[in-house]
Amino acid sequence: MKSKKLSETIIKTFKSNGFVLLEPDVLLDSDFIIERSGEKFRSSMLSFEREDGKTMCLRPDLTVASCISFLQKKSSSKIYYSGQAYRRSGKKGTNFINDQLGIEILGSKNQIQADFKVLSTILSSAKKIKKKRVQIKVGDVSLFKRLINALDMPERWKLRLIRHFWRPSYFEELLKRLEKNTDIDAVTFDADKKKFYEMKKLDQDKVIAGRSISEILKRFDKKIKDPRSFADGKKIVKIITSFLKINCKLSELDEKLLDFAKKNNLNKNIFKDFKSILNLKKLNQDINFIANFGRDVEYYTGIVFEVFSEKKEIARGGRYDDLLKSLGAKKNIPAVGAAINLKNI
Amino acid sequence: MRNLITIGLPSKGRLKDKSISFFNDRGLKILQSEKERNYFGTIENKSNIKIIFLHAKEIIQRLGDGTLDAGISGLDLLKESDKNLQSKINVQKKLDFGNANLVIAVPDDWIDVQTIADLEEVSFDIRSKRNARLRVATKYPNLTNDFLISKGITQYKLISSLGATETYPFIGSSEIITDITSTGKTLADNNLRVLKDGLMLSSNACLFIAKKKAISLKLFLDHLS
Repeated sequence: MKSKKLSETIIKTFKSNGFVLLEPDVLLDSDFIIERSGEKFRSSMLSFEREDGKTMCLRPDLTVASCISFLQKKSSSKIYYSGQAYRRSGKKGTNFINDQLGIEILGSKNQIQADFKVLSTILSSAKKIKKKRVQIKVGDVSLFKRLINALDMPERWKLRLIRHFWRPSYFEELLKRLEKNTDIDAVTFDADKKKFYEMKKLDQDKVIAGRSISEILKRFDKKIKDPRSFADGKKIVKIITSFLKINCKLSELDEKLLDFAKKNNLNKNIFKDFKSILNLKKLNQDINFIANFGRDVEYYTGIVFEVFSEKKEIARGGRYDDLLKSLGAKKNIPAVGAAINLKNI
Repeated sequence: MRNLITIGLPSKGRLKDKSISFFNDRGLKILQSEKERNYFGTIENKSNIKIIFLHAKEIIQRLGDGTLDAGISGLDLLKESDKNLQSKINVQKKLDFGNANLVIAVPDDWIDVQTIADLEEVSFDIRSKRNARLRVATKYPNLTNDFLISKGITQYKLISSLGATETYPFIGSSEIITDITSTGKTLADNNLRVLKDGLMLSSNACLFIAKKKAISLKLFLDHLS
């Protein structure tokens, strides 16, 4: 099939599943994107300065652009997009322009249903354009989070591991430090303690470089009570590593997790709430669960999936419940979406 | 013209004096124009060598575009420059002056922040409590980006600064800074403290050459070793 015809076939499937076209703005406020995606992203953006001094960029990604439109109340909540996104890849000779085609369900409170809708829609599009066997792999970032929270280790280590889950190489480095307990704050608290008592006498609302004295002292106190160094690092790392090795058929997942919890003396209830993934059994499809999957995108918070055929990715997506808030929404707005990888079709 | 060599030297301060002594000590006597503010110089009995006095940052740029064949400037300025530019320049020799460290510094009163790991926690705190990013003021955006990302700090925003960066945390322009320091006095005098593991780069003055000219400069460089 020609690529235009392909897109039309996919879009038809999107529409028949109730998704409505959204055409997000091409030009976005650069500062806004940096605020969300981080400073490192600046070099990938195609930006320019407007007459009034404001820096604008071409939309680097259609999910982010769609979310911005949604927040400006320019869109409904079940949308599809089809268009170009623009960014530098850093590699020589690659194109700035990426054709993107995808769907999002924004603000739906029924998480299980929304996850299912997105994946089933993507799957039926994939089947319309690929004759060969289509397979799915899934992961769930929230399961990892639940595991970490159930382990017996300092709170600060927990937060750190969760924060860096999506950066596998740095995460590995953290595990090494945790294992060898080489991450001790090399601080002699005595000198600081003197200052601590001096600062206690000051106006606690006074702000020093954006942080109030009470905020600083509270964290100082917390550090003493919850040191990062502890002896069980080795054991904890072993549990985490063996969790990340879980790779099984969806039908066996229940049993696998129970087995894992038992082996590691964990409460068997820690994984009990992952209905969204189990619900996918309804698709009657070959699905693999891989605990280590979906770790390359910062904004995923729950289910992550990839639809592939003959080892080539056709589409990928996942749940990202924090993205809209980070783009300025006043409260958490749940969201899930997926995009077709047109290059591989 | 036979083998004309153009050398860039820093136009100001200690870096200028030390660069001139570096040549003089090796029997290459630098002659400056009698006009006090003239930017050109020569070397005694070497009519094929031309000296130009430039801003240290400019020396890196002009080595990259081929205006200069060799020059003395800071390693920090090379490392901060564009990757394409860096690929055109070689470090010929590290010199024993111009020592300075590029460091990450926080307000002294942030007694809970002693290490990068602390900074990481604080940056995530700011992110989750105020939906804002920790602002880092710097004259070295590229080096700062690379360093922070490699240390697991992702929740920050750079504020570019041209000078007196030490004031930024106290006038509401940023929370922390990265800056170059040789004795640490300016930082300390402005109530800032370097993190325990906050050394980003140890810099010093270097003799740089344009890669393209490496062969034709060989004879001249032998003089300097």
